[in-house]
Amino acid sequence: MYFLSGWPKRLRCPLETLEQPLHIQTDPQRVFFAVLAPSQLSIWYSRPSVLIVSYKELSKPASQFGPYKQAEWRPDSTMIAVSTANGYILFFDIPSSRDKYLYEPVYPKGSPHVKGTPRYKEEQCAPLLNLEMKKVLDLQASITSLQSMLEDLLVATADGLLHLIHWDGMTNGRKAINLSTVPFSVDLQSSRAGSFLGFEDIHIRDMEYCATLDGFAAVFNDGRVGFITPISSRLIAEQLRGVWAQDVFDGTCVAVNNKYRLMAFGCANGSVQVYTIDNSTGAMQLSHKLELTPKQYPDIWNKTGPVKLMRWSPDNCVVMVTWECGGLSLWSVFGAQLICTLGGDFAYLSDGTKKDPLKISSMSWGSEGYHLWVIDGNCSLNAGCDIDTKNEAHQLGILQFQFIKSALTANTCMSNQEQVLLQGEDRLYLNCGDATQAQNPRSASARSDHKPIRERGPFLEGSLDSQGLSTLLGHRHWHVVQIHSTYLESNWPIRFSAIDKLGQNVAVVGKFGFAHYSLLTKKWKLFGNITQEQNMIVTGGIAWWNDFIVLACYNLSDRQEELRIYLRTSNLDNAFAHVTKVQAETLLLSVFRDIVILFRADCSICLYSIERQPDGPNPTASIQVLQEVSMSRYIPHPFLVVSVTLTSVRTETGITLKMPQQACEAESIMLNLAGQLIMVQRDRSGPQIREKDSSPNQRKLLPFCAPVVLAQSVENVWTTCRANKQKRHLLEALWLSCGGSGMKVWLPLFPRDHRKPHSFLSRRIMLPFHINIYPLAVLFEDALVLGAVNDTVLYDCLYTHSSARQHLEVLFPFCIVERTSQIYLHHILRQLLVRNLGEQALLLAHSCATLPYFPHVLELMLHEVLEEEATSREPIPDPLLPTVAKFITEFPLFLQTVVHCARKTEYALWNYLFAAVGNPKDLFEECLMAQDLDTAASYLIILQNMEVPAVSRQHATLLFNTALEQGKWDLCRHMIRFLKAIGSGESETPPPTPTTQEPSSTGGFEFFRHRSISLSQSAENLPANKFNLQKTLSMPSGPSGKRWSKDSDCAENMYIDMMLWRHARRLLEEIRLKDLGCFAAQLGFELIGWLCKERARAARVEDFVIALKRLHKDFLWPFPVIPAFSVNSPFKNGKYKTAVGEQLLKSQSADSFLNVEMDMGVSSAPQSHSWLSTINSSQREMDTVSSHGPHMQDAFLSPLLNKGDECSIGSATDLTETSSIVDGDWTMVDENISTLSLTQSELEHISLELASKGPHKSQVQLRYLLHIFMEAGCLDWCIIIGLILKESSIINQVFIIMQSSDADGELWQNIRTGLHAVDRWASTDCPGYKPFLNVIKPQLQKLSEISEEQVQPEAFQPVNPCKVTEQASPRAEESRSLTCHSTSPQSDSGSSSVSRHEEDMSGAEEEDPLQEGSYDCTVS
Amino acid sequence: MIEVLAQLSRGPVFLAGEMLECGIVFTNPLSATSTSASSEMLAWASAQIHCQFHSSESRVALPPSDDSKHDVQAANETVFVPNRGERGQCILSTPPKILFCDLRLDPGESKSYSYCETLPVDGPPSFRGQSVKYVYKLTIGCQRVNSPIKLLRVPFRVLVLHGLKDYQFPQDEVVAPSNPFLEEEEGVKKDSRLADLATELLMAATSRRSLHMYNISNTRGKVGKFGIFKTVYKIGEDILGTFNFSEGDIPCLQYSVSLQTEESIQEEFQRRHGQPVSYSTHARHQESCLHTARSSFSLPVPLSSTPGFTTNIVSLKWRLHFEFVTSRKLGEAHTVPENQSETITWTGVEQIEVDTFSWDLPIKVLPTNPVLASYVSQFSSTNSITI
Repeated sequence: MYFLSGWPKRLRCPLETLEQPLHIQTDPQRVFFAVLAPSQLSIWYSRPSVLIVSYKELSKPASQFGPYKQAEWRPDSTMIAVSTANGYILFFDIPSSRDKYLYEPVYPKGSPHVKGTPRYKEEQCAPLLNLEMKKVLDLQASITSLQSMLEDLLVATADGLLHLIHWDGMTNGRKAINLSTVPFSVDLQSSRAGSFLGFEDIHIRDMEYCATLDGFAAVFNDGRVGFITPISSRLIAEQLRGVWAQDVFDGTCVAVNNKYRLMAFGCANGSVQVYTIDNSTGAMQLSHKLELTPKQYPDIWNKTGPVKLMRWSPDNCVVMVTWECGGLSLWSVFGAQLICTLGGDFAYLSDGTKKDPLKISSMSWGSEGYHLWVIDGNCSLNAGCDIDTKNEAHQLGILQFQFIKSALTANTCMSNQEQVLLQGEDRLYLNCGDATQAQNPRSASARSDHKPIRERGPFLEGSLDSQGLSTLLGHRHWHVVQIHSTYLESNWPIRFSAIDKLGQNVAVVGKFGFAHYSLLTKKWKLFGNITQEQNMIVTGGIAWWNDFIVLACYNLSDRQEELRIYLRTSNLDNAFAHVTKVQAETLLLSVFRDIVILFRADCSICLYSIERQPDGPNPTASIQVLQEVSMSRYIPHPFLVVSVTLTSVRTETGITLKMPQQACEAESIMLNLAGQLIMVQRDRSGPQIREKDSSPNQRKLLPFCAPVVLAQSVENVWTTCRANKQKRHLLEALWLSCGGSGMKVWLPLFPRDHRKPHSFLSRRIMLPFHINIYPLAVLFEDALVLGAVNDTVLYDCLYTHSSARQHLEVLFPFCIVERTSQIYLHHILRQLLVRNLGEQALLLAHSCATLPYFPHVLELMLHEVLEEEATSREPIPDPLLPTVAKFITEFPLFLQTVVHCARKTEYALWNYLFAAVGNPKDLFEECLMAQDLDTAASYLIILQNMEVPAVSRQHATLLFNTALEQGKWDLCRHMIRFLKAIGSGESETPPPTPTTQEPSSTGGFEFFRHRSISLSQSAENLPANKFNLQKTLSMPSGPSGKRWSKDSDCAENMYIDMMLWRHARRLLEEIRLKDLGCFAAQLGFELIGWLCKERARAARVEDFVIALKRLHKDFLWPFPVIPAFSVNSPFKNGKYKTAVGEQLLKSQSADSFLNVEMDMGVSSAPQSHSWLSTINSSQREMDTVSSHGPHMQDAFLSPLLNKGDECSIGSATDLTETSSIVDGDWTMVDENISTLSLTQSELEHISLELASKGPHKSQVQLRYLLHIFMEAGCLDWCIIIGLILKESSIINQVFIIMQSSDADGELWQNIRTGLHAVDRWASTDCPGYKPFLNVIKPQLQKLSEISEEQVQPEAFQPVNPCKVTEQASPRAEESRSLTCHSTSPQSDSGSSSVSRHEEDMSGAEEEDPLQEGSYDCTVS
Repeated sequence: MIEVLAQLSRGPVFLAGEMLECGIVFTNPLSATSTSASSEMLAWASAQIHCQFHSSESRVALPPSDDSKHDVQAANETVFVPNRGERGQCILSTPPKILFCDLRLDPGESKSYSYCETLPVDGPPSFRGQSVKYVYKLTIGCQRVNSPIKLLRVPFRVLVLHGLKDYQFPQDEVVAPSNPFLEEEEGVKKDSRLADLATELLMAATSRRSLHMYNISNTRGKVGKFGIFKTVYKIGEDILGTFNFSEGDIPCLQYSVSLQTEESIQEEFQRRHGQPVSYSTHARHQESCLHTARSSFSLPVPLSSTPGFTTNIVSLKWRLHFEFVTSRKLGEAHTVPENQSETITWTGVEQIEVDTFSWDLPIKVLPTNPVLASYVSQFSSTNSITI
């Protein structure tokens, strides 16, 4: 198709003249352009666009003739006839001086620019022509139309005569036909009843000869339109017959399309009516109309004025229409609108002011349709007033618009139509990416995925393919290939282009020869021998077959038609080509699998088999004739054939279901005859040879049946020769683009299972559907149509001077072509449902259900049907919506589809929708049942609008609880907001960030408010590795506290809190500590306060053993194992210290021990990526060492000491740190292998140490929880965490607290029994715990004794003094560390490092110090 | 037999500083003859990224390198040297990472590994010039016991956006969650942030349009005006320019615009003093404009070309190179008198004495979104060997 490109180019006339041009007419070869001014005839050359010669009439004869009006070329371009206003025809001879050229540049001597090529002048210079007036003819009536017709010139005059003037013998060859003698009727059958025109003053206003219809399309002065045809071959008055178009009465102009046999009549109302001739009756038949729609052009659609001019492009694919008011509009042959310059950026400047539309007085297409030469009517009007600058005066009103067209317009070969290829004058546009993508399926996500690759499985080519494709479709870049200038200069214009199947190679055909380009190597290949190039003219197009280029050409030196095959990889030379002689000129060429199809000028189709010959260094391909089919019976004129292809499409699909392998056979010929799609099937009715024993030679004998017409108004056809059992509907279908009426698909219908097809079920069905783009390629498997569309960019704002009004950049926007794509599946599914073919629709839909946009398809279908039926004024007798709804229920996406659709339609339609799909309450519950909470949340919004608040609140609560249970935190946060919103009845949205809002909502008790704020603040804002308590402490009663008091009466908050508490209780009771931690962190749940409250209830550990086991499981913490020797080796604890000590000595020796530990413990998680990965890799390394034996030990430990203190904390089973090590096998070798030598036993200790620790993250989490519990006084939980971390200091600390505080005896009892239970369990099931339990046993016993004599616990409170001071000063930092140190000496000697850890944790969490916690408890 | 297949999941183009992820699959293909006994063993596999630098002997004088030992290494060496057998020197390499040790694959079994590495942010871009080449490769080395190391090379392309490394993501530390239950995947975030930032920077640098007008004149007089709307482009964009010849005094027969890169060796590395810089043309527009008043051109900057950059050895600059063919005579207006006595036929002259002159306009070319550039990369994103 055609697309406008860039800005137009404005020409300037070297002659200074005030006469502005008014008419332009190209010669039949579109090389020269005759430009008429009132008394001037000029001839321009097309490339370069220069003026060759200009003839200026003397003023005296000029006044006699009147101003020049129209010009017409003799078919051989040797003469021009010019009609004048006073009824004269002036004949000009154009003698050309052979081998003389104009404007040859003469470079100064010694210049490197001297061109040596012999053809230089021919290519770069314009030929020298002259103009001589040869003859003047006076027709004595004003001339309305000039038409060149073979050897004659046909002139219509205002007196109702048609003059037939012979180009050669102008005087004696003159004949005149009186129109009033021509009989007219509505068709040719009822000829005898034909009437004559009847009145005297009727004459032809405009006419055009149509060679393929053999007659004239004519517009009469009264607005009627008709077609005049000679009955016999001679054009004489008695033999002429006329046909009326019955419903056109305001015709203004006409343009005929020879290839598609169409007559376009422009009308006074601005529309264009396109007629064709009914073959059987000869009547004029309306094909389609070209009209601007009020929807797209609300300002101008009915204000365009009459149609002024229409011009079909040289290849007859598009027509350009302009109106009296100006503007250009481009339409495809069957009426798809491509461009209109009456709207958008063409009509308005960037500041919104309206521009004058370009008024066009005349236009003409250049060679191959790359240019449209336009005479700018505005220019001639302005000429008078715009002479202020001398230079502007000789600015000519000739504009050249540039076009890019689809390669399909010229080269209709089928083999490559999954690529979009556009050809411009000097470059090709490819839809880049898709090709390479087809080769290398890649995942869609641009960001790296950190999931282990094993989970993704091996590279599933198919599934990734379409996914990658869909992302590619999102971007709109073209891959632009500039055509090699050497080839272009000598062979301009490019006539054909073709791209191979993978989209990696393109070939172009110019005037002579061809050239090809590889996108991979980015190199062109041209003929090495230029004579070979100049001796061939490609006639029928060009196609790729694997690595070969297949083309049909005329050999100029041997004067014969040939079919040639060139290998891409060898040099471009005839020596490597396979050449076959062809009987007649080839008009069309296409390739289907291994068959080359030629359509020749003798109306016969010839099939060749093509085969690769692998022998020799340069493989060649050989060709053999398979079959020749003469189509001359069906084809009136070979020129009418638009495309010929072989397809696997056949009518009887019932058979193909059983034998799918047959689907790929070359079954039928598809022939586009002037828009009529004809199928010629192979005749299988005769006696058949079974495929098995038939050789290829026998198969070719299978004859063809009589042709069947499949469709009318067809512009392009797509089929594929691929087969895919899963998507047979899409792959075996035939896709048609039908211009203004959209696309059609000829879909095969398959009986389900292998049953016999129903007798009433036809085997194929033609479904029309509309798409918004012009289709250029069909992606079969992906159910997508690719296209391109014109877009515009305004540059006028950059020109601020008022004098810049003349600039083309201001007058016109810059035109670009954009890639588009469209899904169409919903149209087809809907059509099938309308036709009661639900079963087929299901089959089709299931085959496409894996497409990434399939949910979108369902949604679109539902939406469209809903909009149509719900907004319909009249009741619909048979609504489709229930059927569609039922159809969608067949898919798991049903619930989502419905709710998405509902949320995209207006509220007024919801009742209609849910009447069809079911009650939203039920759907909501289905979502809950299906665990699809996000969709359920969407339904909640529907419910909120359709039901009373109580119902939506009930459902919201339900959803909230489920979301809590599943840990869908985002959803929980939303639900909290939602519940509040319906509770308060306010439409005002709650604060956007849940964390800032939580403190107020959870602060059920005044007392905990401060604490909760400090906790959430620290979680939110504090850098993890900075020790900054000030910030939290200075924030105790901020604005959130105020808000709380404002909302305190709100029952909703209480309600939500209740639910949160309940959930927390459940988690705790079920020993789901990890979930509890996540829950509290994600929802900002104030854990400590709540735990304090629950200390004696839910926060009590019922069964220590179960709790311990559960924690091991949840935190992926390995159960301890007994090392082979020396359980209490000091190295075990010491190792940790060693690393720390190194670090201390190196960098931080000045700091206190405490600070170092804090830095280490906390900063582990957020670190720069590379650093982290090396560290972890080194840990990985550690792991490998332990598993692979000691011989490699010394290689790996150096990073451990060199690079970080981290290693000791990390662990082998850590799944979360970096993606590079997700797999257990991942390891890393540091290049700088240093030689740290450890003994084997030491090494084993280290590995053991690592093995007994869980993931680092778990450790941090456990410590965090420990701290929370500690603060909340849930000492039994502290014991459990202490056990799992195997840190006796924790246990000690608990015991100390226990001694110091007024802990109730029940708690103490519980701990003691719990520990005993653990001990029993350890003895039997987990001996690895035994050593640790033995370590803490003395304390336990000591404590038991104390608790026994626990008469006055208050009397013994060593920590109390500290506590008091702390309470006095909010800056607790120093005092707290003091406190901690003061506790340390009391614990046993081995645990000093552990206590440091404890502090480190408190620092990390920014919690209030322990003592404050206990203080709080006492108050409460 | 083991097949090794490496695939760059996002495509073979990356921005320096981005994370490269490569999926590597080791397969023991199932064949008709395979039995359970035909399982295969690999001793180890390791992967590493390196950037290979190669320069033309005749143009670049490098200080003697001590790197040459790799080139003479024997093929059966057991040390993993990713650039073994390649010309030039390895100027940059990431630490090698071991994928596995002692992999055993039964017939039909395959194992997938994922290799991730952050590309150095301060490396040179991939570049194939006339004097200098910078080539990035991911090399996967694997070895059977008692066999030489086999290398699978996955070439990829690196785009460098200068200035990107100066953005240190200052909020990085602050936003990190301190509650251990709130951890996020920082790596992903940072990586995508880098790409987003790059896109944003590129957008800011290349989206602004303003009209730059240039009067074109030579010694004889004024030829015309040239207008261009911006001077900074991304690869893949089109360069638009307009010409106005209607106000010129000197007829211009033809103009051509070439989009060129200028590759110059820094002075201290030049083989010969003052050796010429080398130019290469990436797109060209030529037009005859004798009777043209206004015209425009659009030149695509190829997506596959290297944006401008400078290293200590070479610098690459972009320019538009114009050539004009102008008449030596002033263009006199051919007036046609209103009341002439005989018909006048005006014909153009056969020959015009011409001058040629050229003009250069430097422009800037920046990288683009690496995903976009992947679409036209000549590298396949899948590579495989059989060992």
